[in-house]
Amino acid sequence: MLLQQLVNGLTLGAVYTLIALSFSLVMGILGVLNLAIAELFMLGGYFGFAAILAKLPLPVALLAGMAGAALVAAVIERVGYQPFRDAPVVTPMLSTLGFSIILQNVATNIWGSDPLQLPDEVFGARFTLGPVSASAMQLTIVGATVVLVALLAFVVQRTALGRALRAVAENRDVARLLGVSAGPLTLLAFMLSGALAGAAGVLIGLHYAAITPYIGVEIGLKAIAVMVVGGTGRIWGALIAGPLIGVAEVMTTAYGGSQIRDFVVYGLMIVILLLRPQGLLGGARTEQGPRV
Amino acid sequence: MLEIRNLHVSYGAISAVRGVDLDIAVGEIVALVGANGAGKTTVARAIAGLLPYQGEIRYAGRLLKPNSAERNLRLGVALVPEGRGILSSMTVGENLLMGLYTRIDRDQAAADLADVQSRFPILAERRDTMASLLSGGEQQMLAIARALLSKPKLLLLDEPSLGLAPKMTDFVFEMVLRLRDEGLTVLLVEQKARQALKIAGRAYLMETGRVLTSGPARELLEDHVLANAFLGAGASKA
Ligand SMILES: Nc1ncnc2c1ncn2[C@@H]1O[C@H](COP(=O)(O)OP(=O)(O)OP(=O)(O)O)[C@@H](O)[C@H]1O
Ligand SMILES: [Mg+2]
Repeated sequence: MLLQQLVNGLTLGAVYTLIALSFSLVMGILGVLNLAIAELFMLGGYFGFAAILAKLPLPVALLAGMAGAALVAAVIERVGYQPFRDAPVVTPMLSTLGFSIILQNVATNIWGSDPLQLPDEVFGARFTLGPVSASAMQLTIVGATVVLVALLAFVVQRTALGRALRAVAENRDVARLLGVSAGPLTLLAFMLSGALAGAAGVLIGLHYAAITPYIGVEIGLKAIAVMVVGGTGRIWGALIAGPLIGVAEVMTTAYGGSQIRDFVVYGLMIVILLLRPQGLLGGARTEQGPRV
Repeated sequence: MLEIRNLHVSYGAISAVRGVDLDIAVGEIVALVGANGAGKTTVARAIAGLLPYQGEIRYAGRLLKPNSAERNLRLGVALVPEGRGILSSMTVGENLLMGLYTRIDRDQAAADLADVQSRFPILAERRDTMASLLSGGEQQMLAIARALLSKPKLLLLDEPSLGLAPKMTDFVFEMVLRLRDEGLTVLLVEQKARQALKIAGRAYLMETGRVLTSGPARELLEDHVLANAFLGAGASKA
């Protein structure tokens, strides 16, 4: 029972991790909370579902969700972020909030407010190992997450592009002095972040075998909690915080009842904000070095 | 190589630089000295293209655009900023690789990286160390090495001796001389004015946003009234 809950929690946590990474990519590099990510996640789910319902294979559906969400993210960057680049940080945040409401509206108009369901036969298989059983779906979700995180880690940690992204995140002026143009990289960060959110949307849609235009709000907020627990703007904090919150959520639902579930998740977020605002992975609380 | 005419820079209501003219010829070391808050860093940042400004900055005959640091670097103007600008979330090796960011001649770039690492063996040794763990002197070497990797023609150094022990300062200044001998042109912004004037050909003395005087570095050093008033009489230990 406990192990089974652990598996279920890790599956959910995998999806939280992806969306939290999506938030923290933009947050870490630009210091801006892109609130529309919640709806990119929802849209990714719809794009993926459209592909699955058109009988396309799952990897294609995943790519469709990622590419679609990345494109919408690019539009958000150009229209909702770029023009407010030098404004106080709440300005782009409000504009992404505006985008998020519009996107939800668009989705409601296209797909209706009733859940879009997947036919049952998609990924019905289960695998059992001792007392634990996992559906093919759960394995797919965790597997896809691991692959995506590994890819992201490779790009961010090992390529010139990733170094440039990290340089902009740490100190924009120094990055510019080294020849990094922040503009194109900002667009790229938004698109990468959108692709991650889109992938998460497809995966959570598969998890519930259904999707609604409102799924982004609930799960998006939870992903923000994950990001805070892991450390705002610390990209890799989500790797620990995602599974942690996924498991905490499933365990409280199983042993304490679903009415205290959100209390635990957001309670954890507030405790972290109070006691360790730099997040679990934040290391010592150091002052930011002087900007050039 | 560099001609600055009537440069004005302000930060909001504060006007930090008010009508500066400054010239640097190819192969020169020019020192820019002056008290705290005189506007030296602001001039260096304007040349590098980090700031909006009024006035003209010409480099190699062409007019530079304000606030276009990425472009200026590609044209051959590199700034080692005040406080060194080390990327502390990266390793020493990654900082050096950032220096190669604009290089498209991959083979030559790899050779230059090897060359820089043999010039600064400590950086090669500590390649996988987090850059924040280097000593101040090592960080300054890293900052200069990283700037050199972009193959600049004009190197702007903003207070490279800041926070360094005297030995380390001497090392940095000797390196500046060596770089000049290898054909680099250098603008050296310094608080340690006497020492900077000793290696510079010409110098500019700034005060409250203006150039107070300029000329051959030796003349500024020998002008006792000036030296005592602005270069700090007690600072002549070097
Ligand atoms: N980012 C900023 N915002 C507002 N004012 C600034 C800023 N940077 C510099 N100043 C002001 O501009 C003036 C010139 O500063 P600048 O840093 O260019 O002087 P400096 O000669 O380099 O001084 P130091 O020797 O202390 O480095 C100072 O009055 C300073 O307070
Ligand atoms: Mg200064």
